[in-house]
Amino acid sequence: MKNNNDIILKDINKSYQKGDNTVVVLDHFNLTINSGEFVALMGPSGLGKSTLLHLMGGLDQPTSGEMVIGAQRIDNLKEAQFTKWRAENIGFVFQSHHLLPVLSAQGNVELPLALTPLNKKQRQEHASYALELVGMSDRSKHYPKELSGGQEQRVAIARAIVSDPNILLCDEPTGNLDRKTANEILAILAQLNRDFGKTIVMVTHDNKAAEYATRVINLESYMLEQNKCTVGEN
Amino acid sequence: MRTSAKNNHSLLINLKQAQALTVINFKSFPQRFTVSLVSMLSIGCVAAVMLSVLAMSEGMMKTLQRTGLDNTVLVMRAGATSELQSVMFPVEVNILANNSNVIKNKQGEAIVSAEMFVNAEMKYTNDVGDIEIPELSISLALRGISKSTQQFRPNFNLVSGKMFVTGVRQLIIGQAIARRMPELTVGKTITLGGAQWQISGIFSDGNSVFESELWADIGMVQSDYRRGNTIQSIRLALKDINNLPALAKEWQDDPRLNIRVITEKQFFADQASNLTRLIRWIGFPIAIVMALGAMVAALNTMYAAIASRSKEIATHKAIGFSPFAIATSILCEALLIAFVGGLFGILPLYLVFDGWTAATQNASNLSQMMFNFDISLLLAIKAMSLALFIGLIGGLLPALKAMRLPVTEALRD
Ligand SMILES: Nc1ncnc2c1ncn2[C@@H]1O[C@H](COP(=O)(O)OP(=O)(O)O)[C@@H](O)[C@H]1O
Ligand SMILES: [Mg+2]
Repeated sequence: MKNNNDIILKDINKSYQKGDNTVVVLDHFNLTINSGEFVALMGPSGLGKSTLLHLMGGLDQPTSGEMVIGAQRIDNLKEAQFTKWRAENIGFVFQSHHLLPVLSAQGNVELPLALTPLNKKQRQEHASYALELVGMSDRSKHYPKELSGGQEQRVAIARAIVSDPNILLCDEPTGNLDRKTANEILAILAQLNRDFGKTIVMVTHDNKAAEYATRVINLESYMLEQNKCTVGEN
Repeated sequence: MRTSAKNNHSLLINLKQAQALTVINFKSFPQRFTVSLVSMLSIGCVAAVMLSVLAMSEGMMKTLQRTGLDNTVLVMRAGATSELQSVMFPVEVNILANNSNVIKNKQGEAIVSAEMFVNAEMKYTNDVGDIEIPELSISLALRGISKSTQQFRPNFNLVSGKMFVTGVRQLIIGQAIARRMPELTVGKTITLGGAQWQISGIFSDGNSVFESELWADIGMVQSDYRRGNTIQSIRLALKDINNLPALAKEWQDDPRLNIRVITEKQFFADQASNLTRLIRWIGFPIAIVMALGAMVAALNTMYAAIASRSKEIATHKAIGFSPFAIATSILCEALLIAFVGGLFGILPLYLVFDGWTAATQNASNLSQMMFNFDISLLLAIKAMSLALFIGLIGGLLPALKAMRLPVTEALRD
């Protein structure tokens, strides 16, 4: 992949206002993820992993700091621009699949293509291809309630990749799955990274994920390390 | 499979997104049908009340508007707002008839129609088969008419039977009454104010309000109702109707006369607007209060709908659907609820009650007046517009809420 999809977070602060208290989640946080990496972000609950992912995907905005993705500043985009940018560049996979029960697997995967200028036939072709990549071709007409958890998550991955974003952000994608199914999902993600050059950032509690990822970041120690550096610099 | 859209975020693209989401919402609508039922029914009730009010005033309006001639002058006692309240004396009739502006026949007699108008308590037995049915009683308008009256009723037509014979208790009945009370047939005897009258015929008059009246010889009515030789109203024709204002002024200044002069058309138009105003004064406040209730119901339904779908909405946002598209799809759903509710209210009325004949009891001193519930497509559209308006207002706040829904919170498991 020659196009640059580096994710660069510079001096990011993120805090939430809870009544009178300010909860600081990210404090002068720096991170660079290079194009083509498959990063596993690990760490205890409440640390800010989801927050980080949401920031990268433009679902949330940092209190301060600079975010550059693919050589483009994204922290100062307006909401409408963000939405459009997200539709074109980011695919999300969550712990829950969030598939629409009224749509078939095919219909769910086609949904993001409503945001593109593709015509009906092209949308069907793209969705079929995405379903094929996750090994769900034979279930395309099934509705979510007719699928197992692992199959639902595959469809969710197909939906995330159907509009061909460069970056996949996955928040505990295997959190609800058994070992065997989890491995299958991890294998699919690894394949998307290896064969299609997708940059993947995956939050996970699964130690097994390390075997599939190209880099594992233990966020807790990473943050500690960073703070030491910052203190040292001052 | 690079499909990077070079789409500028135009309205069109937003609408396309909204359409995609709306289709999905509509697909899942059957599942939410029962939850939405309360809103739909309350919106349906509003639409039904609205439509009834409109259909009623429309029906009355039409009936009254079909009544009265442009070039006929109606004269009553000054201050009388209806023929019932008016009393006039033969001397007055003579003064009016002798005016040079009034059209005369070949014999030089003025063409004037002196009329009586009373509220008659009608009693009749309804002898169906052998079953003994108690006497029925209803208040009807009885009009005593004279020889020249028919010249002022160009649409008058006997549909069955014959004209009443002068000097006996015979009368003809308007076909609106005959339609409503089919047991009143030609030859049948009814009781009016204690006296027996025979129905000699049934007449039509271009669906005017006269079809809700009983017509008899003025002399019989005067004697039965002990009115001596007084009458209640006079109709006359002018050589030039444009002279009416001047003539009215002349009569106003005549010390022997104390009268009110108005064209017959105007008189019934005034009656129509009084009556419809009355109906709307009663009907619209009810409709408005109900509409507010329905709005709250719709609001609740839609708030509940987005609360239960916050994850779905957040997912759509994460996928890249615009907040505008999401809000629009919520609005469309509220409109769908309103539309279905509106149909609930309108269709039964449209199918069952259109053309249904209703009657007013002495409204605005018009005595009993029969009119059709006139449910036109236009009125149905008006009632539906109200339903959709309720849906729109009820859906607006929830749509804005969905638009602003914080994605990150909704997606945190
Ligand atoms: N909307 C919010 N308001 C206040 N605090 C929040 C909000 N979202 C997250 N937090 C807090 O931020 C911290 C990080 O949350 P999160 O990113 O979900 O952690 P993780 O995904 O690592 O478990 C938590 O302490 C959480 O309570
Ligand atoms: Mg989390």
